[in-house]
Amino acid sequence: MKILVPCKRVPDPDQKLRLNAEATDVDSTALTYILNPFDAIAVEEALCIRETTHPDAEIIAVSVAPAEGEDDLRTALAMGADRALLVEHDAQLDSWNVARLLAAVVEREQPALVIMGKQAVDDDANQTGQFLAVQLGWSQATFASQVEFTETGLRVHRETDLGIEIIHVSLPAVVTADLRLNEPRYASLPSILKAKKKPTEYTTAEELGVKPEPRVRLLSMELVHSQRNCEMVTSARELILKLRETEVIKG
Amino acid sequence: MTEGLSREIFGNLDGGSRAVFYLLAFVSCAVFLWGIWRRVRLWRRGRPDNESINWRRACHNIRTRVLAQRSLRGSRPRASCAHRMLFWGFLALLIGTILVGIEHYGAAMAGKEAVSPLFHKGLYFVIYEITMEIFGLLLVGGAAWFVGRRFRADSSMEHRAADWLVIFSLVVLGVTGYLIEGLRIIRENTPLPGISFVGYGCSKVFAFGGVDQSNVSSIHFGLWWFHSIVAFGFIAALPFCRLAHAVAGVLSLAASPRPLGHMEPVTMAEVEETGEVGVGRLEQFERRDLLRLDACVSCGRCEDLCPAHEAGKPLSPRDLVQDLRGYMEAVSPGALHGETIGAETLWACTTCNSCADICPLGVRPVDYITDLRRHLISEGELRGAPAMSLQKMQRAGNPWGLPAQDRLAWADGLKVPTVQDNPGFDVLYWVGCSAAYDRRVMKVARAVAQLLQRAQVSFAVLGPEERCSGESARRMGDEFLFQELATANIHTFGKYGVKKIITHCPHCLNSLRQDYPQFDGHYEVMHHTQFLGELVAAGKLKAAAGMNGTVTYHDPCYLARVNDIAEAPRQLLPASMNEMPRHGCHAGCCGAGGGRMWFDDPVQERIGTNRITEALDTGAKTVAVSCPFCLTMMSDGLAAKDAGVQVCDIAELMAEEQSNQP
Repeated sequence: MKILVPCKRVPDPDQKLRLNAEATDVDSTALTYILNPFDAIAVEEALCIRETTHPDAEIIAVSVAPAEGEDDLRTALAMGADRALLVEHDAQLDSWNVARLLAAVVEREQPALVIMGKQAVDDDANQTGQFLAVQLGWSQATFASQVEFTETGLRVHRETDLGIEIIHVSLPAVVTADLRLNEPRYASLPSILKAKKKPTEYTTAEELGVKPEPRVRLLSMELVHSQRNCEMVTSARELILKLRETEVIKG
Repeated sequence: MTEGLSREIFGNLDGGSRAVFYLLAFVSCAVFLWGIWRRVRLWRRGRPDNESINWRRACHNIRTRVLAQRSLRGSRPRASCAHRMLFWGFLALLIGTILVGIEHYGAAMAGKEAVSPLFHKGLYFVIYEITMEIFGLLLVGGAAWFVGRRFRADSSMEHRAADWLVIFSLVVLGVTGYLIEGLRIIRENTPLPGISFVGYGCSKVFAFGGVDQSNVSSIHFGLWWFHSIVAFGFIAALPFCRLAHAVAGVLSLAASPRPLGHMEPVTMAEVEETGEVGVGRLEQFERRDLLRLDACVSCGRCEDLCPAHEAGKPLSPRDLVQDLRGYMEAVSPGALHGETIGAETLWACTTCNSCADICPLGVRPVDYITDLRRHLISEGELRGAPAMSLQKMQRAGNPWGLPAQDRLAWADGLKVPTVQDNPGFDVLYWVGCSAAYDRRVMKVARAVAQLLQRAQVSFAVLGPEERCSGESARRMGDEFLFQELATANIHTFGKYGVKKIITHCPHCLNSLRQDYPQFDGHYEVMHHTQFLGELVAAGKLKAAAGMNGTVTYHDPCYLARVNDIAEAPRQLLPASMNEMPRHGCHAGCCGAGGGRMWFDDPVQERIGTNRITEALDTGAKTVAVSCPFCLTMMSDGLAAKDAGVQVCDIAELMAEEQSNQP
């Protein structure tokens, strides 16, 4: 069985973001990138599947990113993915077009399962997984907090606003990982170095036969200045008065 | 008057008995050697030792730690005393027996009769007899104390049949020795029997019981053989029971146990060659580490002191060593990790080094743990909050993952010079990640900086160029993350010509002192309490000795125990301080070392909870600390108890003192 894990590189959320001069994107100079934490959870889940029910599973990490995206794919390889595929692409892409590129990769690799983060922590769009399932015409199980194999497919616990929803999906399927699906393992430096020896393939949108057609046009970005004023209150009563005063609660 | 004093060796024994005696002696020695050889073969499964044997050190260690029994210290004073009695008694009798052997063979070679000894006579004989009587009493007394302790069924020790037999046979050997001596005095009518005062006493009892020249020979003969057979059995059994420590322990102590807080580096070349880091298989331990598994007698002193064990974590250093020992001798042992030693056991350790410090036999449980952790890390067997911290150290150079540009936020408004502002600095103030990013610890750095400024010390900080020292990464087993961070810091130190470093963090201190020199980073590293002490001595600052209110001081493991700095902090505090029962190098751990700082434990499961109670029990209103981790742990623990006790770094108390008395 092949498992495809799409991996996105995102700016390190602990770093301070600045915008570029044109305010069309974050300033990428001096910015460090990491593997999207939700995608790391997806990689971990694929590894767990290989370690438990499907020892023959081949895990392929794929990323749509500029050439530097290789570093973040290496994290997935260091964790234990078998090989990586980088779709080199410099320009910004919206979720629909990323899904199109991933769909082309799926056509080529023919995996039985795609597991990916439910969203990336940069734009928090939460769309690519759903778009991909639609484009492929596959089943989808989003916000998974537990995945089990059954004889006919997957039993997935989904985290919804109303509680845990348990669904059954047939394979092939797209599963998107929620925070509580697992705790990803730590990839130490020797494993990252060892991962350099694992095969990484490079391709482009052109080679995949996909011409990106933007559906979303980014007009501008602005930084949100969160001014926080902290004040200590001594009682619950005082807190309620303050909240009323600032019209956080009414009545 | 001492002329003619002696005794006949092998008296009362005919040629046939002697032949059987030699045969049995040969068999028991052969079994002994075979048993030792079996252990040696087990030890040789390990990889060759990194260090070669330093004979001078080995002789010194044997003199001080073995012969003078100085490594028995710190806890269980009565057991230590009993062991000394037993050991010195045993040693003296062993030497005595060897001397008798030399006499016997010497006389035979010189062609003398058994009744005319070479040197076993006269004044020598008097001294010999008196000495043996005294040391024999020590042996019997010590062994009897241990038997008595076993009867009290102390749950801290194992109660296997073999353990009982070993200690009991020592008592039997001692007592029957005296009895045989008493019978010999009757049989040979030895002149001046009072020099063998215990044996003489026995002879009186025998005489009272009706033993005389007519029947003494057969009783003497029977008891002599009983004594000999027990002795031969004892020699033969030695390598197969706890007594193996008599051999393995001596070798362990002779082989200079590593200094506390020291870790062996792993090179990338090694990893590229083997594809493995740390210990995943028993064969990856060094030979001397395997030898030390046999040195362990399972006394449990380490377990008594282990903070993780105290907090109910699944770790006992004694069990860990004994489990590894069992694994070493098992025929088909299964997996080392998981089956024999669980990951949760390894992660429970705070690397406080209490176990290594207390072990009388030079066993280093903490070293096995860090070696085994290296394997877990390389296999990706770490998840959750601590894994995140390592990832952030890797990514951002600090465990919180925060931007390096924010490293000077603590110094806001203080005009703290960076290495660029003051390139001619005398000392570098190493701030560390806690003080750079943790709001509470920032105040410690502010206090230190203000004190340095007040004393007009020419100092500087690295600011954004500082990286995590890598100390906790290394102790968590992430050797290469540590090496990366250390190399970056050493490069920065080189760039600014750093020679002398002060730091308020004992973990950074230990790393800079013991880890960095392995990578060519050699500096004079001082704890801030030492440096501030010098400034006080020079009259540039006032100590916090006159502070108001009662105070107690919590020693950090890596300061007091590992680096032997317990006096300097106390010099800065009031002499009337309330000491906690466990202080100095015996201090209890706060629970944050060895990377435990980054584990998310619920408050009730935290290591170090008892330490909080201990601090509260002193009745002090201020708990003085000198480590950022201790500060965090003690503050959290005391806040959870709503105790109304403040926790402050000594530098903060001093800074307050300066402003109180302008």
